[in-house]
Parts: sequence; C-alpha cells; structure tokens
Amino acid sequence: MRWAASYAAQVNSRSDLDIAEERARDLLQVTEYSTLGEVTARDSAEFARAAGETDPRMTDSDSPDFVVHPMYVVSLLRAAPGRVDEDLRPDGMFRTEVPGTDGLAVRLMAGGQDVTFHRPCLAGDYVDVSRTLIWVERKDGKSGKFLLMTVAKTYTARGRGIIATLNERFIVR
Amino acid sequence: MTAQSIHADPVRLLLFGAVTHNTHRIHYDAEFARSEGLPAPVVMVGLHGCLLFRAAVAAAGGDPAAVKSLSWRNVAAASAGTTLTVTVKSTGEVFPDGTASLNLMEADADGAAVCTGYAIVALPAGERP
Repeated sequence: MRWAASYAAQVNSRSDLDIAEERARDLLQVTEYSTLGEVTARDSAEFARAAGETDPRMTDSDSPDFVVHPMYVVSLLRAAPGRVDEDLRPDGMFRTEVPGTDGLAVRLMAGGQDVTFHRPCLAGDYVDVSRTLIWVERKDGKSGKFLLMTVAKTYTARGRGIIATLNERFIVR
Repeated sequence: MTAQSIHADPVRLLLFGAVTHNTHRIHYDAEFARSEGLPAPVVMVGLHGCLLFRAAVAAAGGDPAAVKSLSWRNVAAASAGTTLTVTVKSTGEVFPDGTASLNLMEADADGAAVCTGYAIVALPAGERP
C-alpha cells in the first residue's frame, strides 16, 4: 500500500494550476459549438450605449442608418436566456469560459483579443459560435507561475457566412 | 493624432457587464478584486475593445465598417472609476487594397498605459492609393 500512498501524495501535491494545464492540453484543438441566438437592433443599440458609443447609427435602433455595432457579438460571453447558477464559478465566471478551469481555485484574467471583421452583422442574424483552444503556455513570472491560453472563435451568421473571427487570450494563475 | 475617452465608472461597468452577460466578480466586487491582488474592480476586456474600436473608427473618418481588424493587449489593469483615453497614430503603412494601419494606446487617468493596440482600417475614398 506504500506505493498507493506515495501516488496519492503525488496526485495531491499537484496544484490546481497544474491540473488546469493538464486539462487544457487535453483540450487543445478540440472545437466546441454554441449559439448566441438572434441579434436584435434593440440589444445591439443597448450594447453600444453601454459601451459609451455616441454615434446614433449604432445607439439608436430606430435610426434609418442603423448598423449593428461590429463589436457587439464578439463581446457577448453567452446568449441571454437559459443561464442558471450552476453554470457559474464562485468568482462569477462561466464554468466553461476558460477551458480546463472548471472547479479549480485559479484566478482568471483576460489578456487581450484579436478581432477580424469579415462582413457586417445584421439585425435578425442568427449567430453561431465555434471555439477552439489553440495555445497553452506555462510561464514563471515575478508574481509566480501562470498559464497563457489562447482561444480561437468564429462567429457565423446562419445563411450568410462568417461575420468575425476572434483570438482571445486568458491568463490563469 | 486623435483621441477618444470614456469614464469607466462603476455604473458603466455594471451596464456593460449586463449587456454582455459578464458576471465575473472582478468587475464589480471590490472585496473579491482585493482578494485577487487588485486595488479595485477592473475594466473588462470588451470595454477596452469598444473604446479602441471607437478611436479607430474616428481615425478612419467615422465609418464603423471601416475597421477591418482590431487587436489589443492588456498591459495593466484599469481600475473602475478611471477615465480611459485612447490615442491613435498612423503607422504610415498604406496597403494596395486601400487600407492602412494604426497604432493605438490606451491610458488611464494617471497617464499609465493599460492597453496597446493595432488596427487595420479602410481609408476614406479620397485618401486611397
């Protein structure tokens, strides 16, 4: 039984960051699919106002020149309906937002984004999202060990094609 | 050089978090933010992106469709309550397809850099090669 105790000790000595890294590496290049649902002019205009936008073409859904704010769909973490408490980590983040971190006591921060706009999103578009973890890197900085992760997302309007692609970086400590 | 600003007060962060369904405590729970080693709740990455986007649009002549791509990196946390300002400088690069590149710098009210960015924008018709 000595080996079993030794093995258990080794397993238990792994930090949550170690486990997050191991899980993330297993998820590399795995693509998941979700939907944001239908984009409405009202929701996009509300988003634009919340973002501090002042251009009435983006803030006034009744404007004859109204356009969906190009940053709207790429800024949404999830579709609006259907969320329940069980979907959230204790820190308020969605359990699945940062791959491999569900249930672990790790700190999460966003590191930046690269967005490419392929075609305008239109009010009435039904938008689907694919997400793939494409990069995991362990770092040892002044403030301790951390992981850098990059997730690639593609936003597609059903029947019209790709609206935007996004690379999103996360820092996991 | 052009500039765009936003006052990132707690109400702004609450509104932005609500419309993007971002419930991460780091953006509104001061005690939690301190437990994460931060002095205060911090501005979300998407709100930085929107200000950078607005600055790129303004630099490109005001057309929201002019921004073809936008990248940014958080270089320091921006605390709730600060005023963020993005300054834009042309890199001088003009591409054959009529686009040009911009360097973006976002700073807080103390002038400390919080994001660096880069955008590709379509030049107004009269400025294309």
